[in-house]
Amino acid sequence: MSELLDIFSVLILLSAFVLMANKRIRSYIKTFRIQSFFIAAAAGVMGWESFIEKGHVDILVVCAIIVILKVIYIPNLLSKVYSNLEYRVEKDFIFNIPLLILISCGLVVFTYFSVSTVEGLNEGFLNKQIINSVSVFLMGLFFMISRKKAIGQIIGFLELENGLYICAMFSTHGMPLVVDLGIFVDMLTAVMIMGLMVFRINEKYESINIKKLNRLKG
Amino acid sequence: MNTIIYIVLQATVILLVAPLVNGIINKVKAFSQKRKGASVFQMYYDLLKLFRKSCVVSETASWIFKVAPWILFATSLTAGMLVPVTTLIHPLHYPGDVILLLSLLALGRFFMMLAGLDTGSTFGGMGSSREGMISSLMEPSILVCLFTVSLVAGSTSITSIVGGMQELGTPLAKPVFILIFLAMLTVIMAETARIPVDDPSTHLELTMVHEAMILEYSGRQLALMEYGSAIKQLLLMDMVVNFFFPHDQFLMAGVSGVLLSLLIYLAKVILLSLLIAFVEVSTVKFKLFSIPNLAALAFILSFLGFFQYFVIGGSHV
Amino acid sequence: MILLLLLIPGLSAALFFLCRNNKINHIINVSAASLLLLCGAWLTGQVIHSPEMEYRSLGFFYMDPLGIIVLDIVLFIGFATGIYSVSYLENEIQEGVLPKTRCRLYYGLFYLFLFTMILALTVENMGIFWIAIEATTLASAFLVGFHNDKHALEAAWKYVIICSVGIAIALLGIILLHLSSIDALSEGQQLDFPALFAKAAVLKKPIVRLSFLFILIGFGTKAGLAPMHTWLPDAHSQAPSPISALLSGVLLNSAMYGIMRTVAIVNRCEGGSQYTGRLLIGAGLLSVLTAAVFILTQKDYKRLLAYSSIEHMGIVALAVGVFTPLSLFAGLFHMINHSLTKSMLFLSAGTILQKFHTKKVQKIKGLLRTLPVTGPVFFLGLFAIAGVPPFSVFASELSVILALFDAKYLYIGGVLAVLLAGIFAGIAATLFPMIAGGGTEEEEEEGEAIPVGEINKGGTAVILMLFCIICIGGFFLPDSVILLMEGARDLMLGL
Repeated sequence: MSELLDIFSVLILLSAFVLMANKRIRSYIKTFRIQSFFIAAAAGVMGWESFIEKGHVDILVVCAIIVILKVIYIPNLLSKVYSNLEYRVEKDFIFNIPLLILISCGLVVFTYFSVSTVEGLNEGFLNKQIINSVSVFLMGLFFMISRKKAIGQIIGFLELENGLYICAMFSTHGMPLVVDLGIFVDMLTAVMIMGLMVFRINEKYESINIKKLNRLKG
Repeated sequence: MNTIIYIVLQATVILLVAPLVNGIINKVKAFSQKRKGASVFQMYYDLLKLFRKSCVVSETASWIFKVAPWILFATSLTAGMLVPVTTLIHPLHYPGDVILLLSLLALGRFFMMLAGLDTGSTFGGMGSSREGMISSLMEPSILVCLFTVSLVAGSTSITSIVGGMQELGTPLAKPVFILIFLAMLTVIMAETARIPVDDPSTHLELTMVHEAMILEYSGRQLALMEYGSAIKQLLLMDMVVNFFFPHDQFLMAGVSGVLLSLLIYLAKVILLSLLIAFVEVSTVKFKLFSIPNLAALAFILSFLGFFQYFVIGGSHV
Repeated sequence: MILLLLLIPGLSAALFFLCRNNKINHIINVSAASLLLLCGAWLTGQVIHSPEMEYRSLGFFYMDPLGIIVLDIVLFIGFATGIYSVSYLENEIQEGVLPKTRCRLYYGLFYLFLFTMILALTVENMGIFWIAIEATTLASAFLVGFHNDKHALEAAWKYVIICSVGIAIALLGIILLHLSSIDALSEGQQLDFPALFAKAAVLKKPIVRLSFLFILIGFGTKAGLAPMHTWLPDAHSQAPSPISALLSGVLLNSAMYGIMRTVAIVNRCEGGSQYTGRLLIGAGLLSVLTAAVFILTQKDYKRLLAYSSIEHMGIVALAVGVFTPLSLFAGLFHMINHSLTKSMLFLSAGTILQKFHTKKVQKIKGLLRTLPVTGPVFFLGLFAIAGVPPFSVFASELSVILALFDAKYLYIGGVLAVLLAGIFAGIAATLFPMIAGGGTEEEEEEGEAIPVGEINKGGTAVILMLFCIICIGGFFLPDSVILLMEGARDLMLGL
């Protein structure tokens, strides 16, 4: 089982890189869906195992929620928001793709060295998985700052939350169920609010390029 | 004494199997286009035909033009000695083998690029510059891949690496090797001038890279160039096949063992050719300026594989 | 009883969405605010009179002196703002700036916001605390962008994105804290503040340190500590003024409360305050410095008030970083004073905005003449927030500086004093020209004269009440308040 989890964690990191290398908003949403699917699969494996051993259905419930929310509902919501916006073909990222990939590799190496110096983070069950999770988190952050369109920032934020979630899952078998449910509700609301705001920004500014949101200075 | 027998055996196998790969790939492509296509052994016939013909050499060409095909063929064949088709016969192995392999291939490629420039035709120069760009972008990926597998096997000699991978049983069950496998496949597509990097059956200026460099060749020299490229393709496939699907651990030494091993090897190569053909059929050739993105993808895959070795561990676990 | 505290805003929010009549909405608003205040007073009494100074309920809610102080501030300022909002909204509707139907959206979101903040301050589980803080961001997002123009929208987008990312970083810290406590605590008690504090000595130190760093950055974003403060000037200046008062006076405190609890746990685990002290003092000093630099060149008075919030939160962070009994008491005192003063200032600024229709300092003249009550109060309030005696903010700032010198942080205390002086100069230079002048004959001829007189009666009464409190607070504190603050201080020190 631990090998299967290893494979999933590597696939999640790989999908984070692929997300970084994407050029168009539709492919961001698709790659995000795939990433969430891998997370749900890993949660499912973990949940199944904990169900067999201890009879807890917590993690299985969370797996189901991830599938419903992050694999199905939120990408659909974002696609709908995007299809109602004015479509303009422009370059969305501020560096070019190979440079973005190299910086992401740098982030992963940085995470590895930082986490290795903290004792107690890489014992036993953890198996240094936290490195992959924190790398996904940092790459989500980097994704947010390297994109010019508002939807890119929303996807970056979602990737950040993905990274956090797998961090929690791999290190502590997830947070207590109530907390997990609350986190999901929060995130869903956040995405809905951000989606609504993107609509309004598009109405007022005629584009969703956030470089134009610079009137308030000083 | 044994070494000479091994060298002769290995050379024979490589020389015989190399054109078969091209034949299989072309046949599959033809089937996908609903044609019957040329015979699987077509390349053998082509090579034999070309060897009998004389060469036409441009007046502006220098000695490089005449020497390059021999160098390409020689380096490819020598490099082929370093990658064993089966661990039961190991012709040449030294520590640091991996680097020697890549250097030999690079030497051949270098002379091919020079030959492309030598005749002074525009197609050749264009092909050479494109080839330079693509190969320099793909180098890091294959280097990292090879370093990772040598880390796992604990040695830099390819024969020992193959032996080490055999001890793992099924390497592909580990995430490290899945990634390296995918990375090496991507690099093979680039190095052997296949779609999505370069179309081997086109002669349009917009799309040809490898073909552009050998455009001016004819007769025996063309045969040597083509053969050299085919051998290079085979030995890259050899590496993939023997690293990730090792089969020799079940066989015993002795003549029957070697024959059985060679048969299994042939089967593996045929399967990999089918896989390559399938990939070629299902994608399109990328824009030239999207090649860096593909190279970045190969690099991520190999880097992640290398990195995950430290994070997760891939050896003897 | 705590359930009642949560039910009231929750029910009110639901009622607002159902009822379309503005008059009834105003009545619901005022009554809900008063009821909340009464519940808060009862709860405070419970905490003071109980033996261990705690109040638990349903195994889920937990109130101790630290929580009750912050909660009381929330309820009190919520009450004040609620009463102020009535006339404020009526004026806005009269001027045509606000469509009638948006009034209930305002109230609904307002009470939702209060609900999430009360939830954050009354639970003992850190995970639920995190969820509630994230919910405050979401509930106030549309309040910040309420005016729906370009500037407000930009401010709201920045607010949502930066605060959500910050809070996500805090979640990473909480996950790490959870990780460090896995062996030490039983399943039902993990992530509980009191349980973590009790067992702090056995948590794994390196992980706790790492988690503190993340939590500081995360909740520091929400509390407006530099360098994560960039959303604050925009959000607080573009929001409607009562909401700015709430954001400045209440929300920053809730985030700081989270930091304080974590600091208590980490310091107990480390056995000293070196590690957290360095980080907090650095963040605090940086905040005061940033605020000082930007205050000197401000042209918009609401933005200036927002930067002043950053400054004061920096001072509180400094006080918490030093972590001696005197500094902790001073920090809590300063938190209370800042909330009262800043909300009073924002409410006055709201009246000024409604009167003069501009946010630029240059265009406002003759404040004392046109607004006979609010004008002087605003003027004196500026003195107060800049730390001039005899107001309460002076007392608490002085205590903080004394605590710094007492703990041998001489240079930092000196730098802080200089920066505070600089900030006073900046505020004086920028805002005092607003006070005098105006009413000259040229202006009346050109028809630019602003009618004299207060426009927001209820609001003015509230502003006056707050002003009186901050006047008295400099000299006299009721015993129960002192008891609570000392209790909170002892709680954090672990005595």
